[in-house]
Amino acid sequence: MALPNVDLVIELRELTKSYGGRAAVDGLSVRVQPGVVTGFLGPNGSGKSTTMRMILGLDAPDHGQALVGGVRYADLDWPLKTVGALLDAGAFHPGRSGQAHLTALAASNDIPRCRVEQVLRVVGLSDAAKRRAGTYSLGMRQRLGVAVALLGDPGVLLLDEPVNGLDPEGIRWIRDLLRGLAAEGRTVFVSSHLIAEMALTADRLVVIGRGRLLAETTVAELADRHDNLEDAFFRLTSQVTDYRGTEVS
Amino acid sequence: MNGYGFQLVARMEWIKLRSVRSTWWLAAVTVVAMGATGVGVGVGYRSHTPVATAAQILNNSLSGAILAQLLLGALGVLMVTGEYGTGMIRSTFAAVPRRRTVLAAKAAVCGGAALAVGLAGSLAGYLGGQLAIRGTAIPAASLGDPAILRAVLLTGGYLATTALIGVGIGAVVRHSGAAIGTLFGLMFVPMIVVGLFGENGIVVGRFVPLLMLLNSVAVASPIPGLFAGWISVLLMCGYAAVAIVCGGILLRLRDA
Repeated sequence: MALPNVDLVIELRELTKSYGGRAAVDGLSVRVQPGVVTGFLGPNGSGKSTTMRMILGLDAPDHGQALVGGVRYADLDWPLKTVGALLDAGAFHPGRSGQAHLTALAASNDIPRCRVEQVLRVVGLSDAAKRRAGTYSLGMRQRLGVAVALLGDPGVLLLDEPVNGLDPEGIRWIRDLLRGLAAEGRTVFVSSHLIAEMALTADRLVVIGRGRLLAETTVAELADRHDNLEDAFFRLTSQVTDYRGTEVS
Repeated sequence: MNGYGFQLVARMEWIKLRSVRSTWWLAAVTVVAMGATGVGVGVGYRSHTPVATAAQILNNSLSGAILAQLLLGALGVLMVTGEYGTGMIRSTFAAVPRRRTVLAAKAAVCGGAALAVGLAGSLAGYLGGQLAIRGTAIPAASLGDPAILRAVLLTGGYLATTALIGVGIGAVVRHSGAAIGTLFGLMFVPMIVVGLFGENGIVVGRFVPLLMLLNSVAVASPIPGLFAGWISVLLMCGYAAVAIVCGGILLRLRDA
């Protein structure tokens, strides 16, 4: 097997960001390697999305750095050909067709038109391509987001909660897609708060809570040490879960 | 290869601009409203005594620009705030992290489109007025007359600058409603303020957009005391530059 390509490593160094005095991400240092699916786990509000946005240069860190292949995202020559991102299922204009959305983004990075039709086929949106994206179901919106991520055939993929809103068939589809992309040697970094789903999709796990790193491990390791993954996850995050219900008495 | 340049980003913005319906609605309403104003003015003057002058007809038939500046200003605003409101901005900045390049491309594409629509509207207003006075004693105004041609062209140019101001305000305010409100405020409130200066109002008034439009830009000959039409339009370009530079600075500083 070839050595992992260092151009595809995501490296977070002491990444820190606070909003209104409250730390959302707190001194997070992680390396995400190519060739495997890395799950990014944490309870709601643990800083997963903020971390993803900082990797993409959308939010500026207060301290530290987020690097892809050793450079800041803003310094990449062709961002979409290097990193594909699914941030949330609403990063499009509802009045624009899925096809126009993809065509516009492709133009900015000099990606050929035929690639748009190709990714539409991959995500299964060819028939809905000319419809306004605002009429899409939640699952179709996720698929459009995945199409954007795949557009530049990037070596690094960042997906924030990709299974939200997908039906069981869609969940299996995205799982197979991500595992296939990692098997091709790409870096796949996918956040979720669903441990059961991550156990099926990911090889490695990065677990955070309140913006801090709790564990960097593999699914196999975590499962070995505990009776089941869900318990293991709760034990890891029990001190850092901000919002919790109580039992109905 | 050193990555994307301005040209590619401008292509993205052009595809984005023409792939939403609001663009076509605003463009169509602008041209139709200006044409209809011209016709209305012409019809109104047909049986007017004393007989109207060519300049009177021209000046009034271009006054549809008062509405058009708001429509095209809104077009500029929506070019930016439409992305913030929907989350599209994150897709845009992920594709092109150089935010000032994005803003410059938006300004270029929107300015170009607004110039084309503004000129079409201005021409429609002129033609509407001329068609409506045919067969009366009112003298026709010919586009061969430099003063007439200048007024029609400068009105289109003025309208393009209002769209650019809209882009700048959109980048500063980021919320559609608030940005359009700010734009309308900036267009109308200074005019009320000028009124407070009484006799000396014109010294301040020649810097006020709407007064420039009605008395210096969209007229056969400017009212004494105001700048020449082309200076007024340059002044508008200056306002637009200030708004866009402010937007560019804030765009860099703020999280998307």
